[in-house]
Amino acid sequence: MVPVARRNLFAEKGRFAISVGGVALAVLLILTVLALYRGWSRAGEVFEQLPGQIWVVQQGTSDPFHSVSLIESERLSNATDVQGVLTTVPVLSRQMNFQAGGSEQDVRLMALDAAALGPASPDLKERFLATEGSIIIESTLSRKAGLGQGDEVEIGGVTLTVASVRPRGGDVLSQFAFVHFNDAKRIFGVGDVVNYGMVVLAGAANVGVTGAAIEVRDPGLEAFTAEEFAQSVRKEIDEAFIPVIAILLAIGFIVGTAVVGLTIYTATIERTREFGVMKAVGAGAGFLYRIVLAQATILTGAGFVAGLAGSLVVADLAARAVPEFATEFQVRDVIAVLAAVIVMAFAASFMPVRRVNSIDPAIVFRA
Amino acid sequence: MLQPSEILRVDGLTKVFGQGEATVRAVDGVDLEVPAGQLLLIMGPSGSGKTTLLTMIGGLLRPTSGSVTIGGVEITALGDAGLSAIRRNVVGFIFQSFSLWETLSVEENVELALNIAGVNGRRAHERATGLLTGLGLGRRLRFRSRDLSGGEKQRVSIARALANQPRLLLADEPTANLDSKHGHDVMKLLHKISREENRAVVVVSHDPRIREVADRVLWMEDGRIKDIGGLVADPVCGMSVEAAQAVTVDRNGHTYYFCSRGCSWEFSLNPDRYTRVAAGRA
Repeated sequence: MVPVARRNLFAEKGRFAISVGGVALAVLLILTVLALYRGWSRAGEVFEQLPGQIWVVQQGTSDPFHSVSLIESERLSNATDVQGVLTTVPVLSRQMNFQAGGSEQDVRLMALDAAALGPASPDLKERFLATEGSIIIESTLSRKAGLGQGDEVEIGGVTLTVASVRPRGGDVLSQFAFVHFNDAKRIFGVGDVVNYGMVVLAGAANVGVTGAAIEVRDPGLEAFTAEEFAQSVRKEIDEAFIPVIAILLAIGFIVGTAVVGLTIYTATIERTREFGVMKAVGAGAGFLYRIVLAQATILTGAGFVAGLAGSLVVADLAARAVPEFATEFQVRDVIAVLAAVIVMAFAASFMPVRRVNSIDPAIVFRA
Repeated sequence: MLQPSEILRVDGLTKVFGQGEATVRAVDGVDLEVPAGQLLLIMGPSGSGKTTLLTMIGGLLRPTSGSVTIGGVEITALGDAGLSAIRRNVVGFIFQSFSLWETLSVEENVELALNIAGVNGRRAHERATGLLTGLGLGRRLRFRSRDLSGGEKQRVSIARALANQPRLLLADEPTANLDSKHGHDVMKLLHKISREENRAVVVVSHDPRIREVADRVLWMEDGRIKDIGGLVADPVCGMSVEAAQAVTVDRNGHTYYFCSRGCSWEFSLNPDRYTRVAAGRA
């Protein structure tokens, strides 16, 4: 088959490049916003990465960020005594400010009582169980505060040495940093009180049943599954982010469709006579529609590839400039955007197809 | 009833544009038949209805009344899809302004016509290159159509029209954008095609230079076909005019016929020049 669509588009290389650029920008906008959303949606994932399946909090606590949970240490034994519970690890956690990198930084300090946890894997120790006098920070905080392994930092009057820097997590606004349980007690200045109890279940114990049993045993406690606890953090991101994302995605889709539509429409108008000649020599409507659709598909396809590459580059550059620019490109999002681009191509072909349909083939007899 | 060798038959073909006082009968009750192997030239002044007639014969315009039958199929009774099929497979068009696809190469112009008729790939490529080579364009296959001369463009247009081996070729002013040599060459080529390939060729033109190449010449005026026998040539501009309607000048016992007063005045200024030309034509 003669590649009429390609020839038509490449006949005006400058306009083709501008149109591909327009679609690429729309795709870049859509993909980057989605990746940013995915990146920020990883907030709270630390609760899913830690070994506990249930998090016990003070009754009335909604989430770990916006309400304070205070539990006397001995009450955690109420949870430990429930059938199916292997151990309940006391956890201290609080937002703290400290000076570093010439400005005030904030961090969510967390400490697990390693003694209650028992034997831990090397990975768990490296990521979450700091030795006394040390702190494990995230790469985002490391870059924001200019802290690296071996640096010292003073938090709440306690000097800590950075033991290691964990890879970037999903908590963009306030990163988790792990200290030893005894250091946390000194920093927070608390007595025999903890914030949470991280429950590790035995063998095949059921999470829901065990959580309910803990609440029955001590009505002053409330049990969240690790996923629910993480979700309570993400809920805020979703509520703030999704309406904004929806608008930005709609703008991207409309801009992309308009760019493709106008380009294909102009290319069709310019070639009205040539489409008329095709009709005159017997081309059916389907043949002509395929040309218009192929033009739109080439344009949006090229725009998609350029937009995908551009969004990866932009995300990388933006993250270097702004540590909080946490993005995560997911295959399902890329496929969804590709599907949206295909819809874009079809939508953008609507007007040109109508135009082609209305061309009078007798136009070729007018000199 | 179509005769065995008859490719085209037109019966009482009429096209009326507008309504009421603005009514124009562009084509008025035209009857004609064209057998295979014949080149029919329809001449006439601008606005006489030639192109409208050709457009209806080609199935691009529906007549107000009358019928067109091509190869035994009454195309005026067909729907849009049927007409498209006729234009793809039975009729080939050659246009005044060539109407080539400018973004395509010479060979792609012919291949696309084959693609439209469902012939693709190597078969289409070989047929296109064969046709173009046969028409002397073998060294221009990869050229963009816009880079060709007028004569070459018209030969590409002819190759495209022949791509799907139509039984009927329709040419609208095929020499209008060509100089006399190239115009003559194109007409000889069309004549050769009609003879050697046994196709019916209908050419509409107001170019008097191509009369000699035609097998049959009809005169069209005011939407009607008129007897060519009643026509005479204007010695100044060469145009055929109806003797009864023409401006006349008598000189040395001979009557000269003109299409307009302008031509008769020009004749009066230098009659010797035009009487020699007229003698030459005679």
